[in-house]
Amino acid sequence: MNSDISIVALSLQIALFATAVTLPLGMLVAWLLVRKQFRGKFVLDVVVSLPLALPPVVVGYALLWMVGTNGWIGQASESVFGSTLAFTWIAAALAAAIVSLPLVVRSFGAALAGVDPRLEIAARGLGAGSVRTFLTITLPLAYRGVIAGVLLGFVRALSEFGATIVVAGNIPGRTQTVPSAIFTRISAGDTDAAWRLALVSVVLGVIALAIHNWLLKRSPLSGVGRSNEGRR
Amino acid sequence: MITFDVRLERPGFLLDVIGEFGDGITAVFGPSGAGKSSLLNCIAGSIKPSGGEIQINGTTVYSEENKVSISPEKRCIGTVYQDGALFPHLDVRRNIEFGWRLIPKNERRLDPLELAEFLGLTELLDRKPDELSGGERQRVAIARALATSPDLLLLDEPLASLDIARRGSILNYLKRVHSEFSIPMIYVSHSITEVVSIASDAMLLRDGRLEGFDRPSALLLGAAVAGGDIDSFENILDGVVGESADHLTTVRIGSIEISTRHQNKNSGENVVVSLGANQIILAAEQPTNLSARNILKGTVSEVWSNQGKVFTEVDVGEKFIVELTESALNELGIAVNNDVFLIFKSSSVDVFDAR
Repeated sequence: MNSDISIVALSLQIALFATAVTLPLGMLVAWLLVRKQFRGKFVLDVVVSLPLALPPVVVGYALLWMVGTNGWIGQASESVFGSTLAFTWIAAALAAAIVSLPLVVRSFGAALAGVDPRLEIAARGLGAGSVRTFLTITLPLAYRGVIAGVLLGFVRALSEFGATIVVAGNIPGRTQTVPSAIFTRISAGDTDAAWRLALVSVVLGVIALAIHNWLLKRSPLSGVGRSNEGRR
Repeated sequence: MITFDVRLERPGFLLDVIGEFGDGITAVFGPSGAGKSSLLNCIAGSIKPSGGEIQINGTTVYSEENKVSISPEKRCIGTVYQDGALFPHLDVRRNIEFGWRLIPKNERRLDPLELAEFLGLTELLDRKPDELSGGERQRVAIARALATSPDLLLLDEPLASLDIARRGSILNYLKRVHSEFSIPMIYVSHSITEVVSIASDAMLLRDGRLEGFDRPSALLLGAAVAGGDIDSFENILDGVVGESADHLTTVRIGSIEISTRHQNKNSGENVVVSLGANQIILAAEQPTNLSARNILKGTVSEVWSNQGKVFTEVDVGEKFIVELTESALNELGIAVNNDVFLIFKSSSVDVFDAR
């Protein structure tokens, strides 16, 4: 039972760290994709979305290569910390972040696209720079969708298994998350213990999705008022 | 004074105009797709032209040659959009104060609360935009733009989503704003009625090119009659309610008085009066024994005619546009500087509250 709690705690820690990465990164990418026209937009969209289309194991394998002694992340962390990130909880969090990023970007993108761009143009004309416009107009009008996206990314990070086990392993007390613990217990035939953690996953998932759906259902259409006649 | 030389290339469309706007109210008129809004957006800075130069009061805000392109938030231009573009998550007060808060204290010339009062919004300050009528939203949008103490006010079809009663009211507010704060305005519209009612100059755009620049009635009615794309014209005038008697109410418009149907209004109330150009009869001599209550003597100041359709402008102290047929024009021998009489029924006049 004690070990269950520490496993859940480590999973939450990893998912929180992953969310701390995907929130700003996902917002930036979503804003670029929704509001900006630039060269390489198509490529950015594909690269960010790729984890949706790949087996998580492949993502994990690619990440393992990057954080290993030959990869640029690995070399950077070796020079700073004296060791690579492979088989650490940070590697697990990075894996969870990469796998959940496409969902986060999609949710944020839908939220930002729901904000009438003419309101942003109006704010700029009234003297607000682009950052202030984003913070005072775009974000307040999109916040429900943004919180929904954060929740979705968080539960996706919590349930990440395939990429995590490749890049971080399944080390009890260090990198063993809820999904990898369930996997270990099923393999060992310890079904009661497996069911306990499975139940925790179900409860967390149901709560997060319920809030997610409630937020999106209540999301007001952030339009510019009711009269749309004559608009071209 | 705004001088511009704007070239904007878009797939299947080229805007290429050179001109200048004075310190009055200048209308930019033209059919949909003529490039009116594009020109406005280039001046406001929300669209970057493909080439040319724009100067506002001597400051270059865009120059292709000198690689200048000042961002929109630094141009000191207030814009009022078609449907207001109010921020839906902010109440009226916060909408009006949005831009005002962003300018340095010593540059704040107009107080948001005084502006709200001026535009009749004091009672609405705590409301959200979706709790306002279309006319109220536009007034908030005007106050919000003015609160930034702009050097120039751009109005992009500000009345397009309003009914006729509200249009007259907002036009009235805009005229008062201009006389009170003397801010130059550029008013984009495709309604001749609005343009003639509010603007001192008009610019006609068609297919991305400048077709003319003149007094609004002269430019637009002339061009519209020539192009055949005018259906009707409403004379819109500001008035003050006078006496009510015998089921009739008089309304004073400048130096003249007209009779309207009985209005449930007090003497001295400000109103906006609307009278269709096709509701007015023109007589060459003083008529007698008529049922129509309004007979006004005046002088023909302009005549535009083409293919059977004729508009004349008659000065009776106020200027009225009158629509008639080519045959009537010829039969009566009406020409510029002739004395004529305008005749219309009191029931042809629509009277709206000025707010």
